[in-house]
Amino acid sequence: MWLPIIGLLVGVLLGLFSEFRVPDEYSSYLSIAVLAALDTLFGGIRAHLENIFEETVFITGFFTNILLAAGLAFLGVHLGVDLYLAAVFAFGVRLFHNIALIRRILINKWTTKRKEN
Amino acid sequence: MKDRMIVFTCITTIIGFMIAIQFQTTKEPDVRDTRNIHELRQALTVEKERQKELNEEMDKQIEMLYQLQQTENVESVIVDAIDELRERAGLTPISGQGVLIEITPVYQDEFGGYIHSVPPYLLRLLINELNFNGAKEIAVGNQRIVSTTPIREANGVTLINSNRVTQFPLKVKVLSDDPEGLHHAIMSSISREYFLYENLEINSTPINYVSLPAYEKTYRVRHMEVIKEES
Repeated sequence: MWLPIIGLLVGVLLGLFSEFRVPDEYSSYLSIAVLAALDTLFGGIRAHLENIFEETVFITGFFTNILLAAGLAFLGVHLGVDLYLAAVFAFGVRLFHNIALIRRILINKWTTKRKEN
Repeated sequence: MKDRMIVFTCITTIIGFMIAIQFQTTKEPDVRDTRNIHELRQALTVEKERQKELNEEMDKQIEMLYQLQQTENVESVIVDAIDELRERAGLTPISGQGVLIEITPVYQDEFGGYIHSVPPYLLRLLINELNFNGAKEIAVGNQRIVSTTPIREANGVTLINSNRVTQFPLKVKVLSDDPEGLHHAIMSSISREYFLYENLEINSTPINYVSLPAYEKTYRVRHMEVIKEES
C-alpha cells in the first residue's frame, strides 16, 4: 500500500535534485503527459479495486496514453488548432470519473464492513 | 499482488519525476536576460573596471597592513591613514594645480532681468561635466563639493550644502591633473551653451595654484553603522 507513495516521493525528489529542465516550448507537452499519466494511474487504481486489473493493459495504457497525448498536442501545434485542449478535456473528465468511482467503491467497502461489524 | 505493487511503484515514480520536472520548468524566473552583445560587453567593461578598482584598494590595504606589522609605532600609521581618509572625504583644505571657472551674468538688469543665483540644474550639469573630464576636487563659491553635497533651490535661491550661493561672479575652483585639458573641455562643452540660454557665461582659466576650502559641516552618515568585532 505504501510502496507506490514512497515511489512517488522518490520520483519527486529525484526530479527536484536533478538539474534536468524541459525547454519552455516543450513544457506544454510535459504537462499533457503528466495529465495522461495521472489518468492512467487512477484508471489502474480503479481497476485494481474492481478486481479487473491487468498489468500489460496498465503498462501499455500508461505509455500509449502519454505518447498519444503528446502526439495530439504536437499535431495541434502544427495544424494551428489547440488539439491539446481535447486531450486535457478527455483526460480531465476521465480523471474525475475515475476518482468518483474509486470514492464510491471505497465508501461501499467501508459501509459493508461497518454493517458486518 | 506483489508484482502489481511493483508496477504501481514504477509508474508513480515516473509520475513523480515528471511532476517535479514540470514544476521546476514552470518555476523558472520570468525575468530573462535580453541584453545584446554590445550591452553585455559594456557590463563586462564596467565589471572589469570595478575589479581593477577593488584590486587597487586591496593593494593599498595590504600595504598598510604591512606597514602596521613593520613599525613599532602603530599610532602614526593610523593617524596617517585617518588623515588620508579625511582628505579623501573633503574635510581638509586642499590646493594644487587646477582650473578657476567664473560664472557671470551676460546682461544684468537691462535686458535679461535680474538673476539671483545660478539654477541648480546648471550647477549639477557643470559638476557632472567637470567630473567626467577628470576633476579631482571641486568647490563652488566657498562650498566644497563632497559626495553628499545637496545642490537645490529654495525660494528662487540656489543652496549648496544648505548655504546660499548668490554672489556673482560665482567662482568654481577645480583641482585637476590636467588643467589645460579640463579648461578646453569646459570651454567647448555643452554646459557652456546651456548656461548661455540662462543668460550666464562661463569663463575658465587654468592656473597653477588654486586652494579649495574644506567641507565645513559634519557628515551625516545615515546608512552605515560601526560593527564591533567580536574577539
